Amino acid sequence: MTAQVPVAVRARDVLFSEWIKLRSLRSTYWTLLVAVATPIGLSALVAVTLANAPGHGPPVDPLLPGVLSLEYAVLAVGVLGVLTFSAEFSTGLIRTTFTAVPCRRAVLAAKAAVLGAVTLAAGEVVAFVSFALVQAVLSGQHLGVPLSHPGVPGAVLADGLLLFVVAVMGLGLGAIVRHTAGGIAALVGLILLPAILALLRPPWGARFGRFTLVEAARQVTALHPATNLFAPAWSLLILLAWPALTLLTAALLITRRDI
Amino acid sequence: MIEVDQVVKRFGAVTAVDGLSFTVRPGHVTGFLGPNGAGKTTTMRLILGLDAPTSGAARVNDQNYQDLIRPLHQVGALLDATALHPGRTAEAHLASIARSNGIGRRRVSEMLELTGLEAVASRRVKGFSLGMKQRLGIAAALLGDPPILMLDEPVNGLDTEGIAWIRQFLRALAADGRTVLVSSHLMSEMAQTADRLIVIGRGRLLADTTTAELISSSTRQDVLLRSPQAAELAELMTARGATVHREDDGALAVTGLDAPAIGDLAASRGIAVHALIPRTASLEDAYLDLTGESVDFRAVNPNTPEGASPEPARPSPEGAPAR
Repeated sequence: MTAQVPVAVRARDVLFSEWIKLRSLRSTYWTLLVAVATPIGLSALVAVTLANAPGHGPPVDPLLPGVLSLEYAVLAVGVLGVLTFSAEFSTGLIRTTFTAVPCRRAVLAAKAAVLGAVTLAAGEVVAFVSFALVQAVLSGQHLGVPLSHPGVPGAVLADGLLLFVVAVMGLGLGAIVRHTAGGIAALVGLILLPAILALLRPPWGARFGRFTLVEAARQVTALHPATNLFAPAWSLLILLAWPALTLLTAALLITRRDI
Repeated sequence: MIEVDQVVKRFGAVTAVDGLSFTVRPGHVTGFLGPNGAGKTTTMRLILGLDAPTSGAARVNDQNYQDLIRPLHQVGALLDATALHPGRTAEAHLASIARSNGIGRRRVSEMLELTGLEAVASRRVKGFSLGMKQRLGIAAALLGDPPILMLDEPVNGLDTEGIAWIRQFLRALAADGRTVLVSSHLMSEMAQTADRLIVIGRGRLLADTTTAELISSSTRQDVLLRSPQAAELAELMTARGATVHREDDGALAVTGLDAPAIGDLAASRGIAVHALIPRTASLEDAYLDLTGESVDFRAVNPNTPEGASPEPARPSPEGAPAR
């Protein structure tokens, strides 16, 4: 009887199973609260500072406050991503999970889909609310831009994408490293990569730097992209390649290991 | 049906399972016995596809576990009852497992009720006692109403009440016609629940038999005798074909004559007898006979003097190092 269950139905069941897991933990709500509330509050703060800056320096990127304030959110959802797998490994629950669903890649895909959807939604909410708030503050000083301004919708959407990217990367790292502390360390290490590359001799630091998560993110979320980095379209690809490669590595390792 | 076919599992230099083959058939409680570290848990993990065998294969209902679709309908397993996310409620824990196999909320409620957890269903498992966690683990194993159940040391660490509950539960499940494989390192526990026994030591099969057969296969049946004229009586018994061993405390262990014959013999010669006790090997003894050679880490009994010859009629694992 069970042999006739279509793959699509089984996939949906695994997806719902992971959805139940994610929403039945308090830590999920706390993390999302931090991920949504801090950037909105901080971006408003940065905007106020910018608007009241004395003197007239070079014109600032009106989208900058939104980008700067995302760092807490990115770390919060990154940790949530790592925990989504590492908590199952550390408690041993993963054995129950893989006994119920022997297709381990289906579990990985379901977790990535559920976490990805939640963090993408949260990210876009943060991005657009922050944008509205920041522009409301900046427009008082005639520094703001409307959402209809060319390049703005894409940059704001990309802002929201960052949470998704880091969360899914964290999830992949959690599956690869299988320890919470190790997974978080790996995630932070990858995020901080530009700081290390900056130590390289001048042309090389920038050449490798273009491939890092942070530089790619900076490029896709800026209103006026830097000219010494990849074009925004390429940067977007690089940005998405990081979680994709992490998930791929996890998918390769997850079926080969004893649990 | 569970089939383990020539399975070898090595972890680096350590061979945890060494060419193990056995079949668990429906309709019995099968005890899976062996000393700590014998490879019981590893074998169960191999059956569930959690570990990959170095060679050989384990099959459930003629399929690799990996290929089972919605496996909870075929096998229910409880490996480690404490493997829970502490922040999740009992109900959410079960619901997430159930949903992955297309099992509805009603079944979750039924299992909570069956295991007596309905009152704590919405509490986080962080505060659960080990007994409650064991119940929750059994509830999870039963979600798919599987014909096969596999439980790893389900009574470990439980209090008397918990042990009684599990024991009763396992018997009921077997009476239901299910195949139940229960591992334990305690023979006495298995003697009360299992019809069949699979005994392993150092990853190898030592016995695959019924509980009754295992007891009768043990040759250790003798009579313990105490008498102030032990030497004289020993001579008389030996003349009648008995084999007599002198135990450390001066008592005699007699085989080849039964207790009434020894009593009659002593009475006919006017010899006083202070004790005359027929001894049958317990299941525990039979188990120790089997596994005595295969215990990984043996404790040395401080009461056994170095080099003292162990008492042959009552072997104990503690006496074994002298061999």
